[in-house]
Amino acid sequence: MYAYDQFDHAMVASRNAEFRDQVERRLKGELTEDEFKPLRLMNGLYLQLHAYMLRAAIPYGTLSADQMRRLAHIARRYDKGYGHFTTRQNVQFNWPKLSDTPDILDELAEVEMHAIQTSGNCIRNVTTDQFAGATADEVADPRPYAELLRQWSTFHPEFSFLPRKFKIAITGASADRAAVKWHDIGLVLKQNDAGEVGFEVSVGGGMGRTPVIGKVIRDFLPEKDLLSYMEAILRVYNENGRRDNKYKARIKILVEAMGADEYARQTEAEWDRIKDAPIDVPEEEAARIKAFFAPPPLEVLEETNASVDEFASKNFLFASWLNNNTNKHKVPGYVNVTISLKPHGGIAGDATAEQMELVAALADAYSQSEIRVSHEQNLILPHVPVKDLATIWADLDEAGLGTANVGLITDMIVCPGLDYCALANARSIPIGQAISNRFDDMKRIQDIGPLKIKMSGCINACGHHHAGHIGILGVDRKGEESYQILLGGSGAEDASKGTILGPGFDEHGIVDAVEKVVAVYLGEREEGEEFLGTYRRIGAQPFKEALYGTH
Amino acid sequence: MALINFTGIEAGNWTVLAEDEQPTEGAKVAASVTRIADESEEFFAAVGELGAVVSTETAYADLAPLLNKLSFVAIEFPAFTDGRGFSLAVRLRKDLGFKGEIRAVGPVMPDQAMHLMRSGFDTVDVADERKEAFEACAARFKQFYQSDYRGAVSIAHARHSSDESRKAS
Repeated sequence: MYAYDQFDHAMVASRNAEFRDQVERRLKGELTEDEFKPLRLMNGLYLQLHAYMLRAAIPYGTLSADQMRRLAHIARRYDKGYGHFTTRQNVQFNWPKLSDTPDILDELAEVEMHAIQTSGNCIRNVTTDQFAGATADEVADPRPYAELLRQWSTFHPEFSFLPRKFKIAITGASADRAAVKWHDIGLVLKQNDAGEVGFEVSVGGGMGRTPVIGKVIRDFLPEKDLLSYMEAILRVYNENGRRDNKYKARIKILVEAMGADEYARQTEAEWDRIKDAPIDVPEEEAARIKAFFAPPPLEVLEETNASVDEFASKNFLFASWLNNNTNKHKVPGYVNVTISLKPHGGIAGDATAEQMELVAALADAYSQSEIRVSHEQNLILPHVPVKDLATIWADLDEAGLGTANVGLITDMIVCPGLDYCALANARSIPIGQAISNRFDDMKRIQDIGPLKIKMSGCINACGHHHAGHIGILGVDRKGEESYQILLGGSGAEDASKGTILGPGFDEHGIVDAVEKVVAVYLGEREEGEEFLGTYRRIGAQPFKEALYGTH
Repeated sequence: MALINFTGIEAGNWTVLAEDEQPTEGAKVAASVTRIADESEEFFAAVGELGAVVSTETAYADLAPLLNKLSFVAIEFPAFTDGRGFSLAVRLRKDLGFKGEIRAVGPVMPDQAMHLMRSGFDTVDVADERKEAFEACAARFKQFYQSDYRGAVSIAHARHSSDESRKAS
């Protein structure tokens, strides 16, 4: 993991001193709420429906066990004993007191964390593959580049007041687990014919009310040129993005209006002028950062373990967990364990202080003290020896963290919705709970197979509904919550936009509708075909007929 | 109003020319870009120094033909959120090589002091009661993660510099 040096510590300490001063001025009445708002937002402090919410950054979703323990401490001391992991691999505390927030930031700084740029019209937390550096299907580890981007984007003099928020995702693997094509900038690590590492660069992806899949503007950008190329893209956007209408201010609207070819041309022209300026870091700095992410020294172990296999043969839930919640590691004898934060009937992405502490303890014992957060709102223990899986699962299961549903229908992305969020039109959490209760049957959901439901409580699409195999969008229809259903979206390497099937349903009807959609799939699927494959083959019509009886 | 001066440039006492107003001989006179372009060569000939007042909407390329006449550019921010002003200042320094005073005008916030300074602004006009906050913000951070077009190098470069003074943070 990256470790701060004196420069990084000084940066965060200065920021925290500044924020403490701002909060004091606000509490004394020297700053009005209107003046305070943009300042607090740049430190991730939102005013929600019932309270302030503090969003702390988990850069590219990587946490140490000590950092996780600190999050648990913050949850217990300053909040109501839990935190919420988000689709940007961050963590949110829902109930802090304003006057406590400077202390919380100091607590975070002690473990090299911060809340910088977790909100505002700036470059947000860079996200990546939750299995980065630990997966077999990877060209290169994306985290060193994400760290370079984190530093470069922090308090950028020119790009801190963009037309709108700006999200960058990066993956090094052939399977896209970071939804890169749905980002303002998507970076895919690749090797050219000469064996050099670089990036395919796409721009203009995004969700919100106008979902757009990003377009590739450069097939291969040498790794050493990453930051200057980002600067060129951002300058074109900062100068030309719309500022008259916040709903048309994202880069996706500019790229659509200009055309991706023209956006590429302007970016390349600007890049030509700046690529020799000292924007990109010296080679020694790139090497310094990469060294923090060197693979852990793992001794090759047996791929299977007799006692684990025997336990699996007797325990259906553990066997299911082995199938669904573990992912192949690049070193034989190890796996990456995904800890589901989607217990059936629970709140997606939430973890209690006790659960966080257990995960931290397991990380110390079994995963090199490393933890990851996925954009699908789960936690990951990377580099886990296969031989320890039964013990780990037993500990997790006892704490309510053993649900074997990763990648299955109940492993939903669910936004906080109207239970917390000031922007929401409808509740999301109770709908997610009702759906997972309806499908609370491990045999049944494994038979259904890989199926991603993603749900948002308003058009802003924080719950990624456009990218769900089944997407659910909560809207306000004449004062009533109504839930529309979308089918066919994907956030993976085969990114696609979901299509709205028809009129919305009420909160009970939407659960029935999901069940009917699944029934159509089960009836139509061919041997070995997953939900998305069936949908793409047969189209929306059979699903429409089942839901609306139209012919 | 108070004037914050980040760079120690000799900041001019600029008169912004009202519509139909004639420039005073020998004075430091600023006017809109259209006014400068529309008036005859002789109109501004007698002024001491000429400045331009531009909006954040201005394309930097439109300023290029005027720049050799100018020793001052005031960039008017209609709102603190309009980040085009930062890019415009960067363009003036980086692409047009402008060496004169660049001033920020409008509702910018104290917390933007470092952004202004590092994008190439020399000065900013602020309400008297914000002067102290502006100065505090401008002094809070010592080093930054980005190189800038004023010649400051990034922390990434400073980390590997043989110049030990750069490493002190």
